[in-house]
Amino acid sequence: MSPNDVFDALILILLITCALAIARMKDLAAAVILFSVYSFALCLLWVHRGAPDVAMTEAAVGAGITAVLFFYTLARTGRREK
Amino acid sequence: MRNALALLIVIVLAGLMMAGVSQLPPPGSPDGAVHRHVAAHYIDGGTEAGGAPNLVTAVLLNYRALDTYGEVVVIFAALVAVLAVGLSGHSRGPRRQPDELPVSPVVDRIIRLLAPFIALFALFMILEGHVLPGGGFQGGVVLGALLILLSLVLGPRRIRRMLPTPALFWTRAIAPLVFALTAIAGLALAGWLFALPEPAWLRELILVGLELAIGIGAALALVGFYLSLEADHHD
Repeated sequence: MSPNDVFDALILILLITCALAIARMKDLAAAVILFSVYSFALCLLWVHRGAPDVAMTEAAVGAGITAVLFFYTLARTGRREK
Repeated sequence: MRNALALLIVIVLAGLMMAGVSQLPPPGSPDGAVHRHVAAHYIDGGTEAGGAPNLVTAVLLNYRALDTYGEVVVIFAALVAVLAVGLSGHSRGPRRQPDELPVSPVVDRIIRLLAPFIALFALFMILEGHVLPGGGFQGGVVLGALLILLSLVLGPRRIRRMLPTPALFWTRAIAPLVFALTAIAGLALAGWLFALPEPAWLRELILVGLELAIGIGAALALVGFYLSLEADHHD
């Protein structure tokens, strides 16, 4: 395995861990933060695979705007999953 | 029993998918089927024919302009839907006054300090999108995020006043409108929809115009989503 593959494998493991944690999380604010982490990891993967355009969109929309809108919704509904 | 059945189905499906994936050519291999048809043609002459040094932009705004037009219309339709639902006053959430929510002085100062730089970066991304990675949508999202940050610090009313209503009415639809105009101009000047007319400066002007329209449209859509969430608090 080349160092490039190791980097990809680490990011993919992080992505899977984040996804599983988001699904199991009862605290929704923490889930939103993990979702941002997931997006940033995915963004790193896009850059590494040579797609900077997609990476920029992922960082701005996935990690930025979506998190803000989710947080706003949480502030109006409730933080804990019933 | 049902769990065992579900597990069996999942294992069979996963096995089939893995068998399929193992037959794929390695990623990035030039012999792969996807790299031998239109993609090879795009890479050979795409920057020339598409009019943009950044190949991604050439594909998005020229070869697949109709796709991008569709995406722009989808974003606009989402904004229209949110405005139609959000401002009708159906929701009765807990009443709060976000204008008076305290913002930490650290956050306040950092947002005020960074705002001009973020704005400059967004504009740079929009205007240089046809040369460098990035482009109208990415720059527009950064601009929208900046306006949302500012409305946290300055209060949503100041942001609403920055965006005057009658102008906003048409500006929200700027991206689909400019795309439709470009399509018709291409048909009139060069013979087919979304064709870029000949002189190089005109091509570049049209591409920058499209990127600007996408950027402004995306930014206004995002701010619209946010402000209509805000608006519910006041009715």
